[in-house]
Amino acid sequence: MPEHRLPSRLGGQDSKDGDTPPDVRFIRVPSIAERKLGREYVAPMRLDPRVLDQMQQTIRGLETKYAEALKSQVAMLQILVEPACKGDSEARGRLYSLAHDMRGLAGTFGHPMVSRFADSLCGYLENCEAEDLKDGTVILFHVDAIRDAIENPRTDAAVTLETLEALERLIEANRRDRRRLG
Amino acid sequence: MSGAPTSADSGFFGRLKVLIVEDSKEMRNLLTALLETMGVVHIIETRDGESGLAAFARHKPDIIITDGAMIPMDGYEMTRAIRAAGDAEGANPDVPILMISGHVGRDKVTHARDQGVTDYIAKPLSADVLYEAIVAAVSKPIHFVEKPGYRGPSPRRSLDARRS
Repeated sequence: MPEHRLPSRLGGQDSKDGDTPPDVRFIRVPSIAERKLGREYVAPMRLDPRVLDQMQQTIRGLETKYAEALKSQVAMLQILVEPACKGDSEARGRLYSLAHDMRGLAGTFGHPMVSRFADSLCGYLENCEAEDLKDGTVILFHVDAIRDAIENPRTDAAVTLETLEALERLIEANRRDRRRLG
Repeated sequence: MSGAPTSADSGFFGRLKVLIVEDSKEMRNLLTALLETMGVVHIIETRDGESGLAAFARHKPDIIITDGAMIPMDGYEMTRAIRAAGDAEGANPDVPILMISGHVGRDKVTHARDQGVTDYIAKPLSADVLYEAIVAAVSKPIHFVEKPGYRGPSPRRSLDARRS
């Protein structure tokens, strides 16, 4: 059952007197734990290190499977570059979707640089014009960098960061060209 | 983190029903595996905001974990619809909603907060950040603001993306 409060009794910024329109209500609802556990609930709920340890083991257990999936995804990226650059919108969408997945997942499974390169590629695809894609250099370089980061995960971080900066410079140069050519 | 008695164990998580709304199959698999490790038994998976909204009404989850960018309906629009749902045939419109997203710019986090998202987690995901966010979401009492056109966590609160 929700508990209705007067605004002035609620702590924090929301409670400032005279600052709350009359049609605004503040409601305190019991937490999910309070509702589920009732009198069994022991507050505050503390994190259990054993649960966290098991969760980390779960991620480690999935790493090998993900590494295989990642290789297949990179192979697919390489296939998609050409049609995407030739204007195939479905290929472009699929390419973006794969890069988006890598951006979100590779870091979790011990491939942070793959995630960074994929993030850079997603940013490029989100902001580029169809005309920019005809020259597939930027995409190709990104895909190569992703493949290299997977094949050589122990590469010096400084080298990898340098590659990332070079890709960002390339994207910026392309933007400048586009502006210059109108 | 301490070894003191806690309710954040498999006995508690076994009572939770969790809805995952995520378009990436790999991400859904990861989230499901992590939730199962925590002891969650009732997990519903959907691929976009539209099917997530239908699953919310049908399954009445205790917590929702959603991606941001999805088509045809994204996680922001789904959150807004849930908060506006009233008592949707017994489903809880005050349900904690955790958004996990690769977009961590201030504008995206603020947009998520304004739609009624409870907490925002940056990708790449880590076990400790997910666990902490879930425990916080289910154990903290829910303070909601209700005004014309909006019901949800205060849109004036500070919300930063949790990062690994």
